Amino acid sequence: MNDDKITQAAQQLATDVTPERDLWSGIAAAIEAPERRRWTPMLAQAAVVLLLVGASSAITYMALKDSNSTQVIASPEMVFEQVSFGNRHKLGPAFQAVRDELAGDFELELLRLSPQTRQDIETDMGSIHAAINEMNNALEGDPENILLQKQLLRMYREELALLQRVSGLSRSVMMRNDI
Amino acid sequence: MTALLTAEPNDYSQTMATLNTDAFTEESVWIRRAQKSDSRAFESLYKLHIGRVYGICLRMTANVSEAEDCAQEAFIQAWNKLDKFRGGSAFSTWLHRIAVNTVLGRIRKSQREQDRILAVAQLADSPIDAGDSGELRDLSDAVGKLPQGARNVFVLHAIYGYSHDETGAMLGIAAGTSKAQLHRAKRMLAQQLKQQGYRA
Repeated sequence: MNDDKITQAAQQLATDVTPERDLWSGIAAAIEAPERRRWTPMLAQAAVVLLLVGASSAITYMALKDSNSTQVIASPEMVFEQVSFGNRHKLGPAFQAVRDELAGDFELELLRLSPQTRQDIETDMGSIHAAINEMNNALEGDPENILLQKQLLRMYREELALLQRVSGLSRSVMMRNDI
Repeated sequence: MTALLTAEPNDYSQTMATLNTDAFTEESVWIRRAQKSDSRAFESLYKLHIGRVYGICLRMTANVSEAEDCAQEAFIQAWNKLDKFRGGSAFSTWLHRIAVNTVLGRIRKSQREQDRILAVAQLADSPIDAGDSGELRDLSDAVGKLPQGARNVFVLHAIYGYSHDETGAMLGIAAGTSKAQLHRAKRMLAQQLKQQGYRA
């Protein structure tokens, strides 16, 4: 067979070849979740929740800052120390007392804010509560996990900080009105 | 073999030019959507191009499992590089270039790995099935037995219709080297086919 015949025959070889097995599933897995394999599902989930809460907190902070320029200073009694936290992932009575007090002011203050700001704050608080539930659920299965314990404590602090910011705003406004 | 020569030859650029204009429009929409991380649009691109991409990988590697891996890797790389595709060339050409680079990269990656692939291919002793029949299958098998350099050029130039300039650019060799490798490939193929009883 000479060169020309080989050339012409080569041009008739199949150029479109169907793979014997499905290749898309492997490609889809790689392009849709490339980072997932590096994380355990629980820690990845916790990281996502933390990111969401962090971003949400920033948005709420900005909304509060815009809605009222009054500077809110936390009173000393609101600084608390968690007294019992560990394998039982429960917080102590001192924390509960401060939290309950702030929660009451929080509800009142929400009613005074603009609908948009209120929605932002409620979304933020919802994310924090969802995160706390996630952490508690995760700790049910892995009660000795130090990282999860720390993350849960951090979520409680986030919740308290948000309560503190919103409730403090209410107090400042009330004080100004009184004058 | 003579009967086969009466059919119209493959001409890649001509084939692409005669494709429905709507297909091109649709493809450009898929490309834009995929560039915005729409994986379903990318799946449409995959379905449109997997045949040729896998074909190139299969002809160049002459090994089914390697070709599958290369094709997958090529599409994953294409996804990761989609934002760099500006439309300066046809999407298919851009994609084929990635596929060729993937094959070459895997070949270069490890000589031991290449030896393993060759060993597996020899042990299996089963020629690749690219859908060719009769005498064309004999030619296909013979192409699979060419040395890597000659095979690469023969596949891209003689089968897929790329010019020597394009082939050289894809393989990282000069156009003149591409021509020399093609000549070598044809000579070796003629010898192989002659041994199987084909007349000159």
